[in-house]
Amino acid sequence: MADKPRKRVLVIDDASLVRLYYRAALESAGFEVAEALNGLEALEQLLAARFDLLIVDVNMPQMDGLSFLEKLRAKSLPLSSVPALVTSTESAPQRVAAARVAGANFYVVKPLSTETLVQYASLLCGAPHG
Amino acid sequence: MPLTRKPPPAPPAGAGPLADAAAIARALADGNEDERWAAARAAANLPDSVPALKDALAGETSAAVREALFSALARIASPQSAEAVLPLLRSDDALLRTRASDALVAMKQAAWPYIAALLRDESADVRVLACGMVREMPSERAAPLCCDLLDAEPEQNVCAAAVETLAEIGHASALPALMRCAQRFRGTPFLEFSINTAIDRVRSQAITPRA
Amino acid sequence: MVFGEPKRYFVERRVVERMLGTHSGSFEEYFARLRADLDREIEQFVNAFTINETYFYREEHQLACLTTDLLAARLKVKARGSPIRIWSVPCSTGEEPYSIAMWLLENWPHVDEHEIEIVGSDIDTGAVELARAGVYGKRALMRLPPSVVDKYFAFDGDASWRIVDDLRHSVLFTAANIVNRADTVVHGKFDVIFCRNVLIYFDDISRRTAAENLFENLLPGGFICLGHTESMSRISPLFDVARFDDAIVYQRPSR
Repeated sequence: MADKPRKRVLVIDDASLVRLYYRAALESAGFEVAEALNGLEALEQLLAARFDLLIVDVNMPQMDGLSFLEKLRAKSLPLSSVPALVTSTESAPQRVAAARVAGANFYVVKPLSTETLVQYASLLCGAPHG
Repeated sequence: MPLTRKPPPAPPAGAGPLADAAAIARALADGNEDERWAAARAAANLPDSVPALKDALAGETSAAVREALFSALARIASPQSAEAVLPLLRSDDALLRTRASDALVAMKQAAWPYIAALLRDESADVRVLACGMVREMPSERAAPLCCDLLDAEPEQNVCAAAVETLAEIGHASALPALMRCAQRFRGTPFLEFSINTAIDRVRSQAITPRA
Repeated sequence: MVFGEPKRYFVERRVVERMLGTHSGSFEEYFARLRADLDREIEQFVNAFTINETYFYREEHQLACLTTDLLAARLKVKARGSPIRIWSVPCSTGEEPYSIAMWLLENWPHVDEHEIEIVGSDIDTGAVELARAGVYGKRALMRLPPSVVDKYFAFDGDASWRIVDDLRHSVLFTAANIVNRADTVVHGKFDVIFCRNVLIYFDDISRRTAAENLFENLLPGGFICLGHTESMSRISPLFDVARFDDAIVYQRPSR
């Protein structure tokens, strides 16, 4: 039986240690992972390959995560409907609300445990394989 | 041959006349998008225009003009322009926060005197942004600032941001503070992982290369 | 500059090269030198990674993108009869603007239906003079099909080829520093700008300024092409990114 393609996650965060941490957790769980260090790089990655889930930081140089999401949601399908989990150090209600308005499907305050990350990933794009 | 060589078109109207801060302020307040763009760009050479730039930023709706406003403030790079940008670090608008942080980084030395205070700000969110800005300072100044923070900071996420900066700078002097922080936050998975990775990176950057 | 995992060895070798070249005792020491830009190390570092040699039809995939996709996109929105304007900046000794010209003449079926202005600009006035003279050695011609050489160059019998007068006189060359708005703004608005392998040399603030200058020189919906390892993601959020078969290019948003 042919292998089904693995689910692909794009981790968008300017902190290399955060990207490394998420990559380790997601790859262990069977996901394929790519990285971008700001919203602009993420848009370029999304033009080059299909992704099943985005993990989006908010505060990043050049283009923040919410501006990125607004641009993404304005594009045409299927690109515009990729699920997005926004993670941020910020917890104030207006910051959470802003993320939802921008197009976040979920918002989780950092730090994200590996278990929570994998649970959300599986929830938002199904099992890693197929 | 369909290729034609012509002298470039005449300079656009308004390329010249914005020579003083008052004209810039008027254009920023009342002009259309092209006029506001031209005014913001001209302002980069006029330190007196900082108040007008600051006012314009608050309500500007054009993404391009906003970029030009921040760039003008960054190029002026005076204490006044730094102080005009600092309050935006607290904005509820992610775009303003992050472009403000980028502008302060681009100002280089003009912004450095303010960073130590930002690292002690009462808002953890501002302290996190400040840890990113520290990255651009010379490493012999940046490392001690981050290490001092690591010894006193109560918030995990702020420590993580300082650890990220130290991992990039790679100064061996940071090792003791990193290890102390690991002790303080034992049992917090992400921070432990970050500190261990940072320690590895700092140690590996101290190795002499083989030809 | 952005390199994927397959280029790891290439990147490591270049870094070690620079560490040895600067007698750095450790990566930490070298990195400090790089961050402080001691003895213009940033430029040396970038030079170690970019191929400085310039020749005709370099990065041909972008020329292909021009005739396959970019010009068609521009023509859809341009006023009838308005000239197509293309800028090569920096143009060095002229290989890039002449390449654009020859490529269009050879590969664009609609080339005779439109007026096309090609401008080449560089900060180095010596390079601009050489571009106007249009004389080149064998290495610069290495990627050109023989038929193109025959058509557009005259051989001097020794070691030089000169661009034919018709072509030489149809490209405008000027001196300009892309970080200086007074230099750039006078060039007017373009449909396509080629700005390859120069923005990476600049610091933050110069990059922003140059990006804003180039934005200003683009018509709404106009395109800008960077070097193939460069990305606007490290330079400026002013431009949209567009992907075509042959290249990734950046675009000034339409009105």
